Amino acid sequence: MSTDKYKYRAEIQAMMFVSGETGETAPETTGIVEDIVRGQVIEMLTQSSILAARRGSRAISTDDLIFLIRHDKAKVSRLRTYLSWKDVRKSAKDNDKEGVAPGDDLLEEANSAADPVKMRQKKVKIGLPWEVPHYFSEQVPEREEDEDEEELEANAATLQRLKNADERTRGMTREEYVHWSECRQASFTFRKGKRFREWAGFGTVVEAKPNDDIVDILGFLTFEIVQTLTEEALKVKEAEDRVEKESGRKRKRGAGIGGGELFMREEARTPVEHRHVVEAFRRLQAGRPKYRAMRNFGGGLRKSRLGLL
Amino acid sequence: MVAQREDFKERYARGDRWISRMFATKRSCCAIDEDDMDMDELFGPSGQDNGGTPEPIAKPVATRNMDDDYDEFDEDEDEAPKPATPTPAPTNIPVTPNAQQDGSTKILEARERLEAESKDTEESVRDAMYKLFFTLENDRDALLEQQKLEESDRQVQAETNGQGTPGPQPTSHAPGKLSSTNLGASSLTLKHLIARIDAKRERVKLSDQELRQLLSDVRKNRSKWANEDKIGQEELYEAAEKVVLDLRAKTEHSTAFLNRVNKREAPHYFEIIKQPMDLGTVMKKLRGYVYKSKKEFVDDLDLIWENCLKYNSEPSHYLRKHAIAMRDAAKKLVQLVPDIVIRDRAEVEAEEAAAAEHDADGESDDEPIMSTRGRKAPKATKARKAARAESRAEATPEAKPPLLNLIRADSMPPNGGDNGSQFGDGSQIGLGTPPMGGTPAPNGHLGQLEIGEPKMDDETDPLMIAWKAMTKKKRADGVKRRGELFKENRIDPEQPALLRSRFGMGRFLRNEAKHRKGTDDSHDDAQHDKLADAEEDAQSAFFMPDYDDPMSYIPELPYLTEWRSGEGENVDAAITGEYGRIAPRGMFLPPSTGLNTKIMANLKQMQDTRKICSKITVIKQMQMQPQLYHPNQIPKYDPEPFKEVDAENFVVTEDGPIMDKDVNRAVLQRSVGKLFYHAGFEQFQPAALEVATDICADFFKNLGKTFKLYMESEEQYTKKAILYHTLFENGVETADLETYIREDVERLGSKLTTIQDRMKAHLGDMLRPAMQEGAGENIFEDGSEQFISGDFAADLNEDFLGLRDLGLDKELGLSSLSVPLHLLTSRITSMQNQTAGPAASVDGYTPPPPFEPLTAEVLALQIDLIKPYFEEKLVNLPADKNGAAIEDEDLPQRQRPNKPRLPPTGKITQSRKRVAGSQGGNSKKKKKPNPIEDKKAPPTKKERDESFGKGTEMDEGGMISPESIAA
Repeated sequence: MSTDKYKYRAEIQAMMFVSGETGETAPETTGIVEDIVRGQVIEMLTQSSILAARRGSRAISTDDLIFLIRHDKAKVSRLRTYLSWKDVRKSAKDNDKEGVAPGDDLLEEANSAADPVKMRQKKVKIGLPWEVPHYFSEQVPEREEDEDEEELEANAATLQRLKNADERTRGMTREEYVHWSECRQASFTFRKGKRFREWAGFGTVVEAKPNDDIVDILGFLTFEIVQTLTEEALKVKEAEDRVEKESGRKRKRGAGIGGGELFMREEARTPVEHRHVVEAFRRLQAGRPKYRAMRNFGGGLRKSRLGLL
Repeated sequence: MVAQREDFKERYARGDRWISRMFATKRSCCAIDEDDMDMDELFGPSGQDNGGTPEPIAKPVATRNMDDDYDEFDEDEDEAPKPATPTPAPTNIPVTPNAQQDGSTKILEARERLEAESKDTEESVRDAMYKLFFTLENDRDALLEQQKLEESDRQVQAETNGQGTPGPQPTSHAPGKLSSTNLGASSLTLKHLIARIDAKRERVKLSDQELRQLLSDVRKNRSKWANEDKIGQEELYEAAEKVVLDLRAKTEHSTAFLNRVNKREAPHYFEIIKQPMDLGTVMKKLRGYVYKSKKEFVDDLDLIWENCLKYNSEPSHYLRKHAIAMRDAAKKLVQLVPDIVIRDRAEVEAEEAAAAEHDADGESDDEPIMSTRGRKAPKATKARKAARAESRAEATPEAKPPLLNLIRADSMPPNGGDNGSQFGDGSQIGLGTPPMGGTPAPNGHLGQLEIGEPKMDDETDPLMIAWKAMTKKKRADGVKRRGELFKENRIDPEQPALLRSRFGMGRFLRNEAKHRKGTDDSHDDAQHDKLADAEEDAQSAFFMPDYDDPMSYIPELPYLTEWRSGEGENVDAAITGEYGRIAPRGMFLPPSTGLNTKIMANLKQMQDTRKICSKITVIKQMQMQPQLYHPNQIPKYDPEPFKEVDAENFVVTEDGPIMDKDVNRAVLQRSVGKLFYHAGFEQFQPAALEVATDICADFFKNLGKTFKLYMESEEQYTKKAILYHTLFENGVETADLETYIREDVERLGSKLTTIQDRMKAHLGDMLRPAMQEGAGENIFEDGSEQFISGDFAADLNEDFLGLRDLGLDKELGLSSLSVPLHLLTSRITSMQNQTAGPAASVDGYTPPPPFEPLTAEVLALQIDLIKPYFEEKLVNLPADKNGAAIEDEDLPQRQRPNKPRLPPTGKITQSRKRVAGSQGGNSKKKKKPNPIEDKKAPPTKKERDESFGKGTEMDEGGMISPESIAA
């Protein structure tokens, strides 16, 4: 039963590994992560279909989905980058089909497509309807130097992540790095679209079948969710370890036994556990006074929606 | 009753004085009814009578007794109306030895003086009571002191009773026959009553003592201290008791001296003080008839203060102050005690038997009986319950004092009635306040008080002290009564409801009526009413405006407008210049600093950019569909600049925020609308605006409430902390605010600038090719000037294409209204392509050669099969200068035949004339579904608020720009 229920153990493990988790995660940890991610996906689908309905459309568009996370500018920016690269990849593939060498690795294709001139031609900036240019009835043709400061700012987090990853991979052996890069490719959706659709309850949650773009975006977002969750859980665990370490020291001092360090290192290597994830999730959900502010002085039960990570 | 009338007349003389004083405020009706005060004063005794009614534990029996007594009392008054001047009643002391007469007259003089002083003070207090606003902060003290006093009283009584009285009569434990046991003197006048009481004795829940006391109270002139066998006892004890009661009543100072010093409180007290003494003990000794002379009594009193000063030898000790104050007060009071040494009757009789007999016979109806029959000692029976005794005492009217006691109201200590009848003449001295040295004379108060002279320190203001003393009981009662309404901090549902008494209601109605009638003319009516009212008031409780009349909780507000009748029936409200004034301008305008300017700049920029947009749209349209539009068909975008209009002039009377719901809402709505526009919405539905305004208002309300909570919290927050807390509690973090300003305002501004620049550049790009040299000239060589020249537009004298509206005319440098050639760039280019041939091609293919124009010559070259068709065309189609038929595509738009379009279905249906307007790739997804009419200016408040004249011509037409939606 439980094996049936959880379908993404390997992927989640890989994602958590990429996000900083070093140890071997227990099945129940990946299980809870999977549950959380699934809840998030369903919530996103529900909300965006509500949005779509409000627009008068039955099918979810990518805009609906991005609209949900619009406040997280960094994430939106990453998603945009992701989408534009996807475009690049697609067009590169088209070119390749017509042109020279089909059948190469996709990533490399993208790389080959990314030689500066070509890229500039291909890479389209994804415009979002709530952004400033859309205030006006006429659209101005894009220019290339538009990498404004906001973009840079939003990319800061991404760059930091990349840097962290760089740090981690620096000391890796070749095998380890291969493992790492494999893990980096882990995705809920990539080449397992059908499984994802079933898992996320497409068809039951939303009426119209979302298209591939949506699935891709969801794939991206699910990765982000796992990443956020893992990072937060690691923080929780770190805090817990610190407390334990201090109390352990006290204990040690009291008992007069040496050799605590070794013990601590062992401790540090233990993987993130179920409870850490739960706590991390709680932390990520809590503390949003914004959502209850209007109910101040109003009384009554405060219902809050699931916060999107 | 005639006598009563007389009394009333006199009171009215006094009342008028008060009233005239009050009327200086111009609004007599709003002042508290002065008469109540007078009534109390004049009906002092009865005021006391009812002073006890609020006592919650009064038994029904007691109440009935009270009523009965009241009647009795009234009769008494009728029978013997008392002169208003305080004169001693010589009849009261028939057996006083002649030797004491001189002394007693001196005493009387001293009394009169003191009386006059205290009366002055009291009057001024009464005067002030309606003008000063007394705070309630002393009420708790009053309550506590009062409780202590009562407690001490009870204790004394209990102790006396517990010990059994050493008085001449043995204590009778069981209720006996009244007629047989007591009250010999009264038995003649009251014998029916006594018989009746005796008959129903078991149903009367009072002890013998209580009954006796009642009866002795009813009978005038005789006190419970009277004892036939002890000459001088009555007088001495009456005075002494009065002194003790008065001293005890000075709760400011007396609290420490009420009861015996407890060993626990002062462990070594009895080592230092060998002979402890306190007021309670003195009282006990009084009741035990221990004192034989004034000296003994005075010595005991002095002992109290001396003990205190001795024990608390530290000069700064707080009790010393009290002791000294008490000593001073006692000195003053003691003067009033006649210097009498009590002697046995037998002894005296032996000396002056004959004279005494004679006097007693001649006096009155009562006297012979009194003198011949022995009277029982008043302390005969044990009170069943001290509390009940007290409640009874409260409800018991005092015996008619020999003087008409004008000023006694509640200056009596609570148990004043307990010990029944007094000399009466001694009762006014109780205040113990210094004479009115430091305070202005009562008449002089008015002006000062009216201008709101700050109250002096409580400690030093004699007025305040007097007020406190006078109203203590009342206040304590009030507090207690209020306290009783609550149980565990909740309203106790078991408690009787607060109802206005009949008299209270009457008073209220009177005030209302007066208020409505206005000022002076109601005077006579009021006076007329007062006769009737006075009687009521006489029965109603002592009236304190601060506690009893909600109308007086709030001081009268001065009227700042005057109604002047102009000619005819016009009545104008003249606003007295001092207060009413035009509100400062700009109150409903946003500040011209800070964020607002930035936002406004952004808005302006957006409008400008939209203008450019609309131009681009027009040009695009013209390029794609070079057909002619009537100016009205061309969407115009001509936004009015945002203009925020202040409310019209209006008058305010006070400082502070302007509270006009509608105007304020309109202003808020304007701001919300501004933010909407700022967020990118060109238009919005009014309903949406309403909802957002409501939410905004709610939010600000919450903010305000949170602010209030924090400001009123016990912890002292700094203002900054309050602000931060409040914002946080309402979901705004400072980081959010910063982000908002940085991202959503400032960065938006820069983004808008960029976009505007790009738009301009884009527009320039669109216009430029035609402006390039050579391009224009080529066209003129072309054969198509006919429609390019745009003559018809000039003929019509209309703004062709609405260019002037759009402001394009200037931009294009047009002086006439002809069609600007370069707007037709696309067509021109295509024509050029046609004429110039392959050279101009873009995509690298050679375009096919243009069709030869159809002329007669060309026709001749064609094959016969198509000749008729061409001939027909040649005839039907308009020809150009060269006589060639013009191609359909080259015709002016209107002359062109309809071209059938092939719909996606592939079926050619009926061709329709159609302005197919797929306007350039505008994919605005967040567009509101319905175009919205311009937002109306908020309803003006003119009709609603005439006197304020607050017009709110909020020009919000500018808020919503006319939409530039094409087709």
